[in-house]
Amino acid sequence: MKMMTLAHLQKIKTKGLKSFLPHKVRIAVGLGSCGIAAGAEGVYNVFHEEAKKNTLDMSITKTGCLGFCGEEPLVNVSRPRTPLVIYRQVTEDDARAIVSQIMGNKLYDKKVFCKIEEMENFIQPEGIKYGTGYADIPHFYEIPFYKKQKKIVLRESGLISPESIDEYIAVGGYANALKVITSMSPDEILKVVGDAGLRGRGGAGFPTATKWGIARKSKSDKKYIICNADEGDPGAYMNRNEMESDPHMLIEGMVIGAFAIGSDEGIIYVRTEYPLAIERLKIALEQARAYGLLGKNSSNGFNFDIHIVCGAGAFVCGEETALIASIEGESGRPRPRPPFPAVSGLNGKPTIINNVETWCNIPVIMAKGAEWFSATGTSGSKGTKVFSLVGKVSRVGLVEVPMGITLKEVIYEIGGGGIKGKKIKAVQTGGPSGGCIPASLFDLSVDYESLQKTGSIMGSGGMVVMDENTCMVDITKYFLSFTREESCGKCIPCRRGLEHMLGILEDISVGKGKMSQIDELKELASVVKSASLCGLGQTAPNPVLTTLRYFRDEYEAHIRDHKCPAGVCKELISYSIDAESCTGCHACVRVCPTGATSGEKKEVHTIDKKKCIKCSACYETCKFNAVKVD
Amino acid sequence: MATIVINGKKHEAREGEIAFQVLKREGIDIPSLCYLEGLSPYGSCRLCMVEVKAGGRPGLTTSCNLTASEGLEIETETPQVVQVRKVLLELYLAEAPGSKKIQELAKKYGVATTRFTHIDTSAKGDRCVLCGLCVRVCGEILNVGAIHYAGRGTRTSINTPWYETSSVCIGCGACEYVCPADAIDIVDQDDERIMETWHKTTLKLKECAESMKRFATERVVDIVYAKNQELLKDLKDLSPDARRRKKAAQFIFKPKDK
Repeated sequence: MKMMTLAHLQKIKTKGLKSFLPHKVRIAVGLGSCGIAAGAEGVYNVFHEEAKKNTLDMSITKTGCLGFCGEEPLVNVSRPRTPLVIYRQVTEDDARAIVSQIMGNKLYDKKVFCKIEEMENFIQPEGIKYGTGYADIPHFYEIPFYKKQKKIVLRESGLISPESIDEYIAVGGYANALKVITSMSPDEILKVVGDAGLRGRGGAGFPTATKWGIARKSKSDKKYIICNADEGDPGAYMNRNEMESDPHMLIEGMVIGAFAIGSDEGIIYVRTEYPLAIERLKIALEQARAYGLLGKNSSNGFNFDIHIVCGAGAFVCGEETALIASIEGESGRPRPRPPFPAVSGLNGKPTIINNVETWCNIPVIMAKGAEWFSATGTSGSKGTKVFSLVGKVSRVGLVEVPMGITLKEVIYEIGGGGIKGKKIKAVQTGGPSGGCIPASLFDLSVDYESLQKTGSIMGSGGMVVMDENTCMVDITKYFLSFTREESCGKCIPCRRGLEHMLGILEDISVGKGKMSQIDELKELASVVKSASLCGLGQTAPNPVLTTLRYFRDEYEAHIRDHKCPAGVCKELISYSIDAESCTGCHACVRVCPTGATSGEKKEVHTIDKKKCIKCSACYETCKFNAVKVD
Repeated sequence: MATIVINGKKHEAREGEIAFQVLKREGIDIPSLCYLEGLSPYGSCRLCMVEVKAGGRPGLTTSCNLTASEGLEIETETPQVVQVRKVLLELYLAEAPGSKKIQELAKKYGVATTRFTHIDTSAKGDRCVLCGLCVRVCGEILNVGAIHYAGRGTRTSINTPWYETSSVCIGCGACEYVCPADAIDIVDQDDERIMETWHKTTLKLKECAESMKRFATERVVDIVYAKNQELLKDLKDLSPDARRRKKAAQFIFKPKDK
């Protein structure tokens, strides 16, 4: 098959633009996993029903995620020469109303969120232009959640259809891959990626061009490139979105990388728990093959194809040597390094493994050049990073920010601060490999070195916000139980060190802890960190070490005073009813599963501590804040 | 040849040698459980850790997969190495409280007791340290692969498929031979070899045609002689002792009959 030419690509671009910016109304429903979880599939079906019922000539399409997961289902509507209008929290009834308004050439004001007049999309000079108008509707980048973001990787997520290669090409896709393959040498590509300063987005932050250079230099008849899409950190779903919303961006990045390194075979190792991402990737790969962008190319000798390998449910398979073992058909247990995969990896051949987001940065780096890319970020951390901002924060979702932004800006300006006025206590970055950073350090810049100095890591991008009702001992116990469960068991420090550390934390959380155990925790944490075989064990103690460093007072309260200051650890708290606030409304009695709460109507109620199982149902039900946690 | 520095002194390393081999050859003390000459480095026991001072990534690393290249400088007794070793041995005592060999190893480095009580060894018994030597010997050297790691994390054990008797085990006993913790039990009873640890997998022992001694399993003998059928035909049914006697007899000078 002949590889596509730039001329042919231009023809497809024209075709794709007719689909993306048609001469009629186009309704795009956010159908990423978050949108679907919020009910977007029903909304999508209603749009189809209404269009059919009213015999309307509209384009109704799927799109990916705009990042503001807390406002899903998000629907965007465009018509020729007018701004794109985005609707928020769209229900099926809203969908019917939107269609009805469309028929009257109006907007459905109740759920209007923002508009887009034009969007710079970096991959092509002209950007995406919708039209001007609707002066009363705020622009996308005026919305507080989006204001400080810089969507480079997520530039077209939530706008184009993830199941249409034509739309991807319409907004500039694959043009850079073709230009690069036909006019640049591998060394020239490596130089651009190197000068851009791209560092691996999977967590370790290793300079991408340096790693590629090692594989490029290794003499071998066969070289592999792998996309690590195992994304196992609880609370992190950046890669999931990147694959669900813009799978061709990943493919284009891998095509450029394969050419630079000299590989003819690419593998996307994606966790089985991402069925939608797998489905969209499969569609995208088929489409790319049909256009000659993948496969055997007789025209210029660059043969490259990608196939998918699915994980089998092990967090440790996100570690590169365990991932390789898994692809080879063995159990996912890491192997000692050296040798490093760039020298000897899959089947003993030079292999480059990079995270989804690292590959996704490649097309835009080649499009805009190293100088442009490195103008964003700090001196050591260039570009943007997508974070999953989740937890006890008002506005949750995926945010793409320039490196160097402060934690304070992300959590308060983008995230909107705590929920229901609660005080934010800490933010956990880097998942179970990272640490808890206290609020006092929120002026820190978000970059690799700065986060590492706190004892945490950037990680793959998970950012879990914690407030005054989060017990730091409890949250450490949670992360440690996760890593202990996911430990492959090959080396003793991780296998048994984590087991014993978890045992100590369990003792502390039920009031059986001793002060000497804090030193034991520290000692064991340090040995597990330095003696473990792979990154899982080497980083698993980080939550313990950071919480001991910044929240030692909470540990001491648990041990010395047998108290849980945040009111979480069940053995150490008790519920009681404040006589002054209680109105005797009897609501707590109705929800209590053990009959521990009692009282006469309109009289002060009480809780029998012997019967109370601390389920906190009364605490959550009481409208008068009369239930107190001690 | 490369010159490396160990604990401040220069040592010569042969082409392709790894640091651990140099340490052993030069008589420098370094503990290990999962290293065996002839097997590729595995890095599971973590006991052979040394501190790299120069000529490589600085910090603690296992010496069993560290190439002894020119300019490498390592230390085997820094405070950090000693401390990590001690804590690891404490973990091993908790891992294998029933293994005398492990207790002796720990004692050698000054570790007699363990603080680590929150350890549950029920999945694999109280002697195995999960070093993987038995697995690798059975798989990589004997090419049988009757046993492997089963389960994950703290529920890991060395086991047969489905935890049943093995249909491929040849009863060579290499697993028991290499085990550094004496965790594998094999019993020869009458004309049978019982692999107690592998769910009592039982194999028939071969009897020597001359001495009636039972010297190996029938399976092992069949495998060995399948490789050299013609050459060793006349020795097939003899024990090693009987074979020696027979071969030696060929070289005894016999005076000519008068």
